[in-house]
Amino acid sequence: MILLYDLKIIVDNVEGFCDLPMKVGDYFTVKGGKIEIPNDKHICLWALQSIMPIIPAKQREIKEKNDWIPHTKYLTCPDPNGRVIFRIDRIDPTTGEVINSEKNIPARIQVDSEKCTGCRACETICAFVHTGNFNGIKSKIKIDKIEKEGKDIPYVCRQCGDAPCVKVCPVNALSRDKKTNAVLVNNDKCIGCKKCAQACPFDAISFTDNNNPLICDLCDGEIECVKRCPTKAITFSNSPGGDQ
Amino acid sequence: MNYGYCEQALRINLTTNTLKTEKLSQTFLKNHIGGRGLNVRRLYDEVPPDVDPLSEKNKLFIGVGPLTGTLFPGAARVNFTAKSPQTNILGDSNTGGFFGPELKFAGFDQVIIEGKAKQLSYIYIKDGKAQIKSAKHLKGMDVFETQDKIIEELKDKRIQVASIGPAAENGVKYSGIFCNQVRAAARTGMGLVLASKNIKAIAVRGTQALKAFKPKEFRKLIDKMDEEIRNHSEYDIRIRLGTTKLVSSLNKLGCLATRHFQTGYFEDADKVSGEFLEKNYKKKEKGCFSCTIPCSRYFEIDKGKHKGLKSEGPEFEGLAGFSSRVGVSNIEDALKAIDLCNRYGMDVISTSECISFTMELYEKNILSSKEIDGLKPTWGNSKAVLTLIEKIKNREGFGDILADGVLAAANKIGKGSEKLAMHVKGLEIFQADPRGIKGYGLGVAVATRGGDHLRSEPWFEFMEDAEEGKRRFGHPEAAFRLEYKGKGKVVKFYEERCVLADCLEACKNTLVNMEIISFKEAAQLLNYLTKFTFDEEEIKKSTERIMNIERAYIVREGIRRKDDILPDRFLNEPLPDECGESAGSVVELGPMLDEYYEARNWNIKNGIPKEEKLKELNLGEIAKELKDLS
Repeated sequence: MILLYDLKIIVDNVEGFCDLPMKVGDYFTVKGGKIEIPNDKHICLWALQSIMPIIPAKQREIKEKNDWIPHTKYLTCPDPNGRVIFRIDRIDPTTGEVINSEKNIPARIQVDSEKCTGCRACETICAFVHTGNFNGIKSKIKIDKIEKEGKDIPYVCRQCGDAPCVKVCPVNALSRDKKTNAVLVNNDKCIGCKKCAQACPFDAISFTDNNNPLICDLCDGEIECVKRCPTKAITFSNSPGGDQ
Repeated sequence: MNYGYCEQALRINLTTNTLKTEKLSQTFLKNHIGGRGLNVRRLYDEVPPDVDPLSEKNKLFIGVGPLTGTLFPGAARVNFTAKSPQTNILGDSNTGGFFGPELKFAGFDQVIIEGKAKQLSYIYIKDGKAQIKSAKHLKGMDVFETQDKIIEELKDKRIQVASIGPAAENGVKYSGIFCNQVRAAARTGMGLVLASKNIKAIAVRGTQALKAFKPKEFRKLIDKMDEEIRNHSEYDIRIRLGTTKLVSSLNKLGCLATRHFQTGYFEDADKVSGEFLEKNYKKKEKGCFSCTIPCSRYFEIDKGKHKGLKSEGPEFEGLAGFSSRVGVSNIEDALKAIDLCNRYGMDVISTSECISFTMELYEKNILSSKEIDGLKPTWGNSKAVLTLIEKIKNREGFGDILADGVLAAANKIGKGSEKLAMHVKGLEIFQADPRGIKGYGLGVAVATRGGDHLRSEPWFEFMEDAEEGKRRFGHPEAAFRLEYKGKGKVVKFYEERCVLADCLEACKNTLVNMEIISFKEAAQLLNYLTKFTFDEEEIKKSTERIMNIERAYIVREGIRRKDDILPDRFLNEPLPDECGESAGSVVELGPMLDEYYEARNWNIKNGIPKEEKLKELNLGEIAKELKDLS
């Protein structure tokens, strides 16, 4: 068992202007309690202070399989003009090999509201496959439309790692599907207290008339809304990129 | 349980303040399919000739189709129908967005609004029930504000609102009914009918179930259609540009309405095209309910005098209407004009015609600056365009003359201006020059709601495939836009495709222009969706029946062959040299009309449907009534 990973922190891209300058390919390594900077290279203090808090966490094995730390790979310098993007590679200290922890990220629903056309085709198909009813009110995904701003915002479960809705449920009505990792609802147990919705960081939980929560069940693997979305505003993947 | 149809209508009498639901029979629904079909049948039956369109006796019908609210791609539409105060004949206009599906979820296939409310009111329909609420506080509010305000006060963000703007309240003849801010049922003055009933808006919310009778089979067919749409050659461009693609494509063909149809080529088309809009202003794609080929867009102007202007849209008709048609090369000014029309609740086609008409009269010295309130409306004078929009909306000064539509304005102005009014039967025509697309020319001439392209959309004439022309319509020429032979049959066919789209209440982009479903598949869809049984021949017959009811309705209002005419310019002035292949072309309307009436089995002399045709379509009573007329 690896006690602490070594880390190699590399400048992956510079999207803005860095006057130090940090250049693509510059790197430093972290081994145990030491930071090592190669000869005639440097690290910007400004960037370092923002990366620093994550370093001890990235050095350690985290057991919770959905925790975000293992999959977080890119950090950016906080200077809005700088936009120097650092990549953190975890390295096995015994072999010196980079460990690609992203591939272990469970796939999850990701949404991009900039691409969402607001058509509610996702709602219609979701409601239809789950209840036979076309009315989106029964859908587990909901599109909020703010017409005067042209905004269309999908609200849907993202399969959080340490899902707060599951944890907060006082009667254990929510559980994780072993195969798909979806949050499953046991309506027989549910008492309609709506605590799950309050706990959800994505405001993704709406309710039926009987106060049963509507939570995405990933269609048991064949995710219908993802298939039907005409602009790929809803995707299902393990890419480390986050929501928009 | 509602399977495709709700099988009921809501009748609202505003004079007596009574609401009742009426069962819709299987026969009525099957014979008229939905939406437009249900509405025009009722208009024929319930609004007799000589009714003043702005009187209590006129009725407004709101109809949705069997597909509305289902998985069918773009089954979002809703028809608003009444006797038109703009044309005094058939008034009918439809729109997409989200209002139609919500009405279906609220439990109705149709809403009938009759009488007149004592004070400005709005109607709130929810789950099989309705109430009339005061709209005093909404008086004079624009379309966007009205919708926001109603959604806010009813405290439900999923409420859908159809509303009018100040133009309708002020009596502008071509004011429309708008949903989702910019989704406009704007043609033929349906907004003015609503205003005449003292109704500012209709809000609707539905939580009822809507199901498919055979869900598995229905789903399978929908998947097939989604696939066909994705694989269609126009899929990418329609998502990228939607209808705005037409600015540059029609300009290339030399038939983009330019400076009031003086030419079909606009030298600055590149600066006002869909491509230019996409590159410089488009923020993202937008779609109607359940659409898998979203062709609308959201734009924002980031700098300059219209900085901060943002909206869904525009569509081709507005974009060309306020650029090439009025000679404006600045797209931002065109976007501003469209935005004003949307907010005030006015039709962009009629408005842009009235303004470009004024510009031509000014150019030809038929109107002096003094007569136009001191304005100097030269081509491209966008300040004059924006000022005239305000004046029309307020019915102020010269705007009061234009607010009655181009036909009435020309009659008032006289001095030969009548010849320059670009309308058919009192409805202003669109942004393409019929001389370069002759099938469209015929379609516009015979359209049952007056000069409009959306009654036929005979896109087949762009095919340029002689074999197909011969195979489908008996003439190789039918597939070529500059030819006239075979166009009578082409227009008949596409008129019925348009009826199908407007009755199912699906989008014409897919159903007509992309020919996504056949009549046979339409029957299959309805067999899987509804409890009724349809077959291909029955559906074809129903679409022809609806066409004939519409024709009979306008015949009863006095329309004859002599009214199926195009403005003089299209018949006698060839397109100028810069119009490329279209140069030198005029519309040979006479022979096309003969062929059309023959294809329809209507009387070739007067354009009245023949008795035998009406009887064949089970319209015996209508045949009797028309017989008395002729």
